[in-house]
Amino acid sequence: MALSVAKCPSSSAAARLAPGHSPLRWSTLLRPFPRHVLAGSVAIPSSKNWNLGVACKQEVGTVPVSSPKEAASKNVEIGGSLGLSSEEYRDVIGPNSSEREPTVSITVVGASGDLAKKKIFPALFALYYEDCLPKHFTIFGYARSKMTDAELRTMVSKTLTCRIDKRENCNEKMEQFLQRCFYHSGQYESEENFADLDKELKEHEGGRLSNRLFYLSIPPNIFIDVVKSASKSASSKNGWTRVIVEKPFGRDSESSAALTRGLKQYLDEDQIFRIDHYLGKELVENLSILRFSNLVFEPLWSRQYIRNVQLIFSEDFGTEGRGGYFDNYGIIRDIMQNHLLQILALFAMETPVSLDAEDIRNEKVKVLRSMKPLQLENVVIGQYKSHTKGGVAYPGYTDDKTVPKGSLTPTFAAAALFIDNARWDGVPFLMKAGKALETRRTEIRVQFRHVPGNLYKRSFGTDLDRATNELVIRVQPNEAIYLKINNKIPGLGMRLDRSNLNLLYASRYSKEIPDAYERLLLDAIEGERRLFIRSDELDAAWELFTPLLKELEEKKIAPELYPYGSCGPAGAHYLAANYNVRWGDTASDA
Amino acid sequence: MAICFRCHRSGASAPSSVDHYRTLARNARKNKVWPASVPSLLAGHEAIRKWGFQMKSSNGYPLNVVSSQKEEPYTDHSKAKEEQIDSTVSITVVGASGDLAKKKIFPALFALFYEDCLPKHFTVFGYARTQLTDEELRNMIGKTLTCRIDKRENCGDKMEQFLQTCFYHSGQYGSEENFLELDRKLKDKESKQMGFLSNGDNRNFFIPVFPINMILSLQVGKSANRLFYLSIPPNIFVDVVRCASRTASSPTGWTRVIVEKPFGRDAQSSGELTRSLKQHLTEDQIFRIDHYLGKELVENLSVLRFSNLVFEPLWSRKFIRNVQLIFSEDFGTEGRGGYFDNYGIIRDIMQNHLLQILALFAMETPVSLDAEDIRNEKVKVLRSMRTLQLDDVVVGQYKGHTRGGRSLPAYIDDPTVPKGSLTPTFAAAALFIDNARWDGVPFLMKAGKALHTRRAEIRVQFRHVPGNLYKRNFGTDLDKATNELVIRVQPDEAIYLKINNKIPGLSMRLDSSNLNLLYASRYPREIPDAYERLLLDAIEGERRLFIRSDELDAAWALFTPVLKELEDKRIAPELYPYGSRGPVGAHYLAAKYNVRWGDLSSQYS
Repeated sequence: MALSVAKCPSSSAAARLAPGHSPLRWSTLLRPFPRHVLAGSVAIPSSKNWNLGVACKQEVGTVPVSSPKEAASKNVEIGGSLGLSSEEYRDVIGPNSSEREPTVSITVVGASGDLAKKKIFPALFALYYEDCLPKHFTIFGYARSKMTDAELRTMVSKTLTCRIDKRENCNEKMEQFLQRCFYHSGQYESEENFADLDKELKEHEGGRLSNRLFYLSIPPNIFIDVVKSASKSASSKNGWTRVIVEKPFGRDSESSAALTRGLKQYLDEDQIFRIDHYLGKELVENLSILRFSNLVFEPLWSRQYIRNVQLIFSEDFGTEGRGGYFDNYGIIRDIMQNHLLQILALFAMETPVSLDAEDIRNEKVKVLRSMKPLQLENVVIGQYKSHTKGGVAYPGYTDDKTVPKGSLTPTFAAAALFIDNARWDGVPFLMKAGKALETRRTEIRVQFRHVPGNLYKRSFGTDLDRATNELVIRVQPNEAIYLKINNKIPGLGMRLDRSNLNLLYASRYSKEIPDAYERLLLDAIEGERRLFIRSDELDAAWELFTPLLKELEEKKIAPELYPYGSCGPAGAHYLAANYNVRWGDTASDA
Repeated sequence: MAICFRCHRSGASAPSSVDHYRTLARNARKNKVWPASVPSLLAGHEAIRKWGFQMKSSNGYPLNVVSSQKEEPYTDHSKAKEEQIDSTVSITVVGASGDLAKKKIFPALFALFYEDCLPKHFTVFGYARTQLTDEELRNMIGKTLTCRIDKRENCGDKMEQFLQTCFYHSGQYGSEENFLELDRKLKDKESKQMGFLSNGDNRNFFIPVFPINMILSLQVGKSANRLFYLSIPPNIFVDVVRCASRTASSPTGWTRVIVEKPFGRDAQSSGELTRSLKQHLTEDQIFRIDHYLGKELVENLSVLRFSNLVFEPLWSRKFIRNVQLIFSEDFGTEGRGGYFDNYGIIRDIMQNHLLQILALFAMETPVSLDAEDIRNEKVKVLRSMRTLQLDDVVVGQYKGHTRGGRSLPAYIDDPTVPKGSLTPTFAAAALFIDNARWDGVPFLMKAGKALHTRRAEIRVQFRHVPGNLYKRNFGTDLDKATNELVIRVQPDEAIYLKINNKIPGLSMRLDSSNLNLLYASRYPREIPDAYERLLLDAIEGERRLFIRSDELDAAWALFTPVLKELEDKRIAPELYPYGSRGPVGAHYLAAKYNVRWGDLSSQYS
């Protein structure tokens, strides 16, 4: 894996790590030196190995939000290629790395699209602002529309923002960034047009060792065309070429496999970066850390103590006139089969051998393969209908002009999944995803069993379930981790109360939390594959959902209607009740 | 057990349904009129009769009214749980002119009265040698009474009402005659309060006629209960107990005696004191107060452990690396070292307060929350412990220190302290419980005066994560990355769990954050003083938070040898500057067991 230490100089203490050192070697290196040598201001020889020691030392004091601005430019250069294996590293850098610095060209295919404007360019700028991009980089927009570089820059600049907490030099930085942005107009399937792009890229790369990243921000039906053209005529000759693709990855097992086969005609597995931007969310990243770096959680992480796990996604708005794409997929494909299932796999996996991408993805695949395909009776689907609240009329899903009349596409779904392995046998994993609900949030809720033989049961009254512990990881909004515990209400009586042991990110960390796309783009540049979905993971994920999706469509099962802005169809509660579960997000003290 | 829902106004949130019935029942008694919702519970004769009968055996709340309490483990129906609401309680504070009485006992009694927690009929008597009139006592008390910050309404009225129930009797501590006079006065008040059915010995008398005689039935079974609070030096404990028990015991109800530390200086003197008390009192009349057990977060300790699934699995040597019990004061004896010098910090804090907390922390799950079950488990812990060794103790004494132009006095500068005193004002100790759960886990105690902060806390340091995947992120020192549960008893009551999480941002840096529960922000109400809880418990006969004789013996057995050795060998305490973090020896002691004091770690203690 890429070194899990400091990535960008401005966001961490030091990045002077030579790639290719395994953790084992690293710690071996450190062992002979007594702590005071590392901690003190002893002059340290300038070989890379010694610098490792320094980096390590600075990592020790995990000071929150301090960002020492000692960003030496050299750090950036090497930091940019942190994620490479040692062979790659040699290929890329060569023997005299300090002179021949690699360059990265990032081509956003579909540059005029919404995702590009709203997420990709802003994320690239944020990375640039934080000194996370390699020193030499070029950004190309590619699309069919005719546009000049200046027009692209004007378009891009409208959506760039600086971090709230770092406004200094913002405009200057923005200007510098925009000067590195170029545009190339071309057809998506034209090898010639991509060859033209290749020429332009070469010009900007100026003979440096060139790495190329293509971000496919285009409809899935032209994925293969673009990949074919790009790989044939615009691949890097001396560096790496990587392609980021976004969902949808097919509609079912077959179409997904066909897409994978299509991509693999032109790309190797390790050139394909399938993004699931939920994996880039701060608290999803934090999930493994919570589990594996705290003694207090891991012993509880099994069927012995956990009664059920809930993965909840809700949006407080509907398709709002953009239902064309959505209607073809529905909420299960759009949210459950990818985002929620990925979080589930991360949550439930066994301890990986290491934090290397392959080790983690191996464990995730094992979870997915231990799961049974979803049964129709374990699923509830819903669709929002119009609703008038406070004089405002909210439209139904089928009122959306871009949605076919009489569409049965679910905008809400709840499902109960089971992992048939030793750790999770019998523990329901409940998923719920919906549009046009009353709140916007994404969270993971871990409900623990009741205390066996609870001494205080009289104080809880008749309903022991209300007194169980619950760990909530709120992914968005207002990132937080809290553990609901029972404690005594202060006073002379013995009355118990459920309080939260709380960690609210906003109050502990004043820094803005980076957008998921920033992390994922940086990971792709660094070759860190941990947060991207491997082909076999994708296959396993589709296998779980395809039979159900087919059945829903073949039987034309009508979704249960729920009012816009409500808490979803009642069926979700019945589904949970089947497994003796209450949804944690609808509890009064959620 | 009387632990549930005591005073209907004492909780922070809305009353539960059980409370609701309690309130109904209470109002009914007050107004002698049944509210409309109660008749269903009292449908006819039988209920009344049953109720009248049960009044004697429950703790005052008819079981058929408080229906959810039916499954209570009433193990001792026959004794103990006397009714409070329809009986009288006389509370005699012996040593009424003393400091503790003025600062703690009278204010706590008033707070209980204010919160409607005292029985309807009660009398407070001050007893001391000084000649005072009732009025003078009331003036003296009136100065220290305060109302809850959040409840100022009627404060003055309530105070006046309370003071009208306070009386004074002057007498010698060793005079049975004087106590006999007190008895007469008490009887006088008691019979006035009980009205025409003044003699308590008609408990089984009831008139099953409804409804007029219901009022009468409310008055049957009344008894005059008496509580003596000994707020006096220990050398006269036995005298007072002898006189009080011979001449001022209640003939009709219970008589209980609250005693405060010191309970002797060592195993022998404590044993003697217990024997003497038992000449005049039975075990269940003696209420030995350890006011730390009445602190809110110490009470909460068992709740945390036993009502949360997430803590109990971790509560053993398998996951806990060490436990720290820390007490520090930021002031010295300040001219009042006379008493202290005779005892020292080990007797004053460790052997009682900290050891009691340790026993509560480490005990096995009791069969029930009954006092005897809990105290049985605590005794087992104490008896499983290794006797403290001199090697495992560090003693210190504060010396003078000048800071910011202010010079802070040394312990021996205190004029009330004998010159050259070797009494420790600081001590640290490592204790071990040799049972299956705790074998090898050091329990470190630290207590000191004149340190840099004032606090009392329990720190549970967990082991490191075996095979930590993120070990590179922690650098060389994995110990810095262990979890820690902190229960801060005072000040600023809080519970927090230190966890490792990722620092938000693009890098993978880990951070130790707190999962936090700060009481002040969740519970805006004032937390009652420990004395309030303990006085109420004594009145209700709830013995859970009082120390039983065998507990006390076991506690002394652990500390007596080392105390003797310290004194016999005249071991000089390590000097530490007033306002410092204590002697460095405490760190060596901790280091010996591979422990760091959690309160001194640089980050987020």
